[in-house]
Amino acid sequence: MIPLTAIQPLMSAGGVTPGESITPSLPVTPAEQPGALAPSQPSGDSFSTMLGKMVEEVNGKQITASQTVNSLQAGGDVSLHQAVISMEEANVSFQLMVEVRNKLLDAYQEIMKMQV
Amino acid sequence: MIDILSGVQSTAAALDAERTRLDVISENIANASTTHGADGKPYQRQVVVFESALQQAMGGGPATPTLRVAGIEKDPRPFELVYEPGNPDADSHGMVAMPNVNVQEEMADMISASRTFDANLAVIKNARDMALQVLTIGKH
Amino acid sequence: MIDALFNQPDYLAAKKALDAVALRQQAIASNIANLETPGYKRMDVAASFSTELRRACASRDPQEIAALKPQLEVDPNAVPVSPDGNTVSLEDELFKMNQNSLANTLETQLISTDFYRLKMAITGTAT
Repeated sequence: MIPLTAIQPLMSAGGVTPGESITPSLPVTPAEQPGALAPSQPSGDSFSTMLGKMVEEVNGKQITASQTVNSLQAGGDVSLHQAVISMEEANVSFQLMVEVRNKLLDAYQEIMKMQV
Repeated sequence: MIDILSGVQSTAAALDAERTRLDVISENIANASTTHGADGKPYQRQVVVFESALQQAMGGGPATPTLRVAGIEKDPRPFELVYEPGNPDADSHGMVAMPNVNVQEEMADMISASRTFDANLAVIKNARDMALQVLTIGKH
Repeated sequence: MIDALFNQPDYLAAKKALDAVALRQQAIASNIANLETPGYKRMDVAASFSTELRRACASRDPQEIAALKPQLEVDPNAVPVSPDGNTVSLEDELFKMNQNSLANTLETQLISTDFYRLKMAITGTAT
């Protein structure tokens, strides 16, 4: 069983579409408590940590992009291509996270359909 | 202030300076035969004086100079005296003081100023094209 | 996992090349603005950058590529073209500007293609 604690943060993050403006702080907390798993899940520990790490990295990319763009707008020492590229990297990272969330949801629903 | 076109501050200053120079040159040429100006004296050739100010270093390199018009001064060279007794501005000897404008010199100056002006304009156009190109990253 | 997406040597190299292109544009702008400034010495991206970039690309080490930093310097090979010591040749600068513009187009297209492929891989469909 995939623990719900790992999926809920991604579900709330998935409520924001990739095309929206970048906000510096996603309303997301990385999945914590790797220990709070059902005893029958030996490798879930690394999986939820991996998800949590991914969310943090995506958040980091968003923050960098936002800072770079703000610096450009304020006339700072940032060139146009750096701002454009950091925005695009943040977009792609976010898209990846959303796709992972979609696949996880699909998998979860698939499992829920199973007769236990 | 947003700085989308990289490094064209000195270009804008150069365009300004060269345009001033062109304005002064055309005034000189237009008044090359003015023997009697508003002050009663022959037209005195005007010269633009440039000065160079060091601006912020860019990209970690050495500071670069930026062009600025320091002022427009009068050319102190003496008027040329020409024998023209029929001219209303002739003095008692029949000599007329002509403006110290050498039209060939002005034309050569004008060509040089135009060339510099056009080149700097090309820089701005190029910077703009490059910026537009960069903005297409990620759009397919 | 996210960082691995963007830690590819070719992508990083294209980004660095674009940094150098932007820097060179600034240098050329300054050179042409000072076309008639007495004693002005033309500037350009340090010549060592292209050798360093080539070496880093050959090594395929993302960290080495990411650590590169193009810098501007006074061109040591420029010769004076006027009696006052000015080393800017207009034809030369315009030629370099054209080349730089093409390099800009190349690098932006490379980077755009990288993003396009990533998006295709992620979403499974062409955007």
